[in-house]
Amino acid sequence: MPRPSRTAYPLSWRLLDAAEAVVGAMRPKRPEIVVPALFLAPAILLVAVLVWGLAGMVGDSLHVLDTATFLPAAEASLGNYAQLADRPIYATVIRRSLVAGVIVTAATLLLAFPYAYVMVRTSSSGLRRLLLIGLFLPFFIGQVVRAYGWLIILGNKGIVNAAITALGFEPLKLIYTYETILFGLVQYMLPFAVLLIAPAITAISEEMEMAAASLGANWWRGFTTVVLPLARPGLIAAGVVVFTLTLTDFAIPNILGGGTNDFAANAIYDAFFRISDAGLGAALALVLTFIGSTIVGVILAIAGAGTLGLGGRAGK
Amino acid sequence: MSAASTSPRGKRLVLWAVVGFDLLILALPTLIVLGASFTAGNIVTFPPDGLSLQWYEKVVGAYELRQAFWRSLWVAVVCTLISLPAGTLAAIALARWRIAFGRSLQVYLLLPFTVPLIASGIGMMLLFGRIGILGQLWPVGLACAVINLPFMIWAVGASVNGLDPDLENAAANCGAPPVQTFLTVTLPAVMPGVITGALLMFVLAFNEFLVSLLLVDARIVTLPVLIYNSIRSVITPDLAAVSVVYIVVAALAIRALDRLVGLDLFLRSK
Repeated sequence: MPRPSRTAYPLSWRLLDAAEAVVGAMRPKRPEIVVPALFLAPAILLVAVLVWGLAGMVGDSLHVLDTATFLPAAEASLGNYAQLADRPIYATVIRRSLVAGVIVTAATLLLAFPYAYVMVRTSSSGLRRLLLIGLFLPFFIGQVVRAYGWLIILGNKGIVNAAITALGFEPLKLIYTYETILFGLVQYMLPFAVLLIAPAITAISEEMEMAAASLGANWWRGFTTVVLPLARPGLIAAGVVVFTLTLTDFAIPNILGGGTNDFAANAIYDAFFRISDAGLGAALALVLTFIGSTIVGVILAIAGAGTLGLGGRAGK
Repeated sequence: MSAASTSPRGKRLVLWAVVGFDLLILALPTLIVLGASFTAGNIVTFPPDGLSLQWYEKVVGAYELRQAFWRSLWVAVVCTLISLPAGTLAAIALARWRIAFGRSLQVYLLLPFTVPLIASGIGMMLLFGRIGILGQLWPVGLACAVINLPFMIWAVGASVNGLDPDLENAAANCGAPPVQTFLTVTLPAVMPGVITGALLMFVLAFNEFLVSLLLVDARIVTLPVLIYNSIRSVITPDLAAVSVVYIVVAALAIRALDRLVGLDLFLRSK
């Protein structure tokens, strides 16, 4: 039988056949283990870069700065952790970050839920699109530009103070305060929270709300007894994400706070770049990681894991 | 029209008051930056000192700003090229196959989210310093790929979960071998997630500030670091004109997202 002409099959088919032949030749004895492992390998290697870096930090945190040579001391010790415990500034910084986490999470969830609800429930696709764009535009613009915008708005000669002085009042000090940092963080966190809550609301059948209404519940009662409990997974996921991002944020406390109300991340940065104490900075970074992970772990243990949405069908 | 299908006035009032406030604080910084970029004065004040395009002229002519812009673009490209295949394959594996230690793997792959960004950034800074690649630009892209990988996995995972396994079974039943099934059935089906993830990775890396701050030096600053360094000194209108670059990139990304997959994708539950 003569060989088929080279043009008898499209090039793409022949390439595909070649690929099949290669894969077939390499077929492992247990494909159900090898193939998933091959698919996962690149991602595992990527995260390994992070793990490797963190492992190095653990080592660094065990070496105290020798103030005679300004190099890390040769012998390993827990001296850096002892310093963290001894110096009041670090407890203050961590407490400030934790309090901010709680306040920002509560405020953000309060503001995000109605937005997500209207976005999901509206019958107007134009309005839904507007709300989605209103969400994504700041999300895609990033932290630095948004913080810059707030500096312009809230600065001593900004739009807010311009309005206040036009009304005959004294200008207010609105930037470089703790309250401004909290406000900037709430604004920054809103898109994250809405995007995590919205799918949970989508999963709630609108007929459930109608059933509550037809049984006599007013809208507030229906909201608190039907919608909120069913949206709980989304609220928990949003709460966890907003809390951890706030606890560990660097840019907004730095830009809107102007160095007046440092968060933990700012203190870590200063340890490395202002006082050149890498060991102390590494220790504080690891303590922050531990605190954040512990809080998230406790919340997920109580609320049930899987709310962060990575659980696929195979995981159920 | 039944009473049940009409929202009570109180409900609409409360919902819209909050939504209005949300929209205001979400949009205000962007609008103000846009407005400030057109001021004729030398400092940003209100009311503005007339209108002018002078700051755009100045920005376009600034060599260092253009260099920083191209560097940020390059970082974003590197990040997308690294994370797109890694995240796509991982998401498909996690969702399609029952994997031993699957739960542990998911926790591991979420590490970039659970580890504070400052710790990730410094850890990688120390690592890159140790192996001698600190001070180059592509490691910044690699670091952005690492810290944002969970976004990619989440985006593709949502698409994979929506894929009916019977489609792949049908292809196999019609005689398609594994590679052909993957390339012609599985991959096209998860393409909305891949596109969404790729756009997210690109924009997040273009905007990435803290990791860039830690990994770049004075010779290779990226745009967010350059803006940050300038903000720390004095607020001038040319920064507003530079920041408009971000608004334009964000608007283009949203348009691409809307056109390619539809923004409604983000409202769907699994």
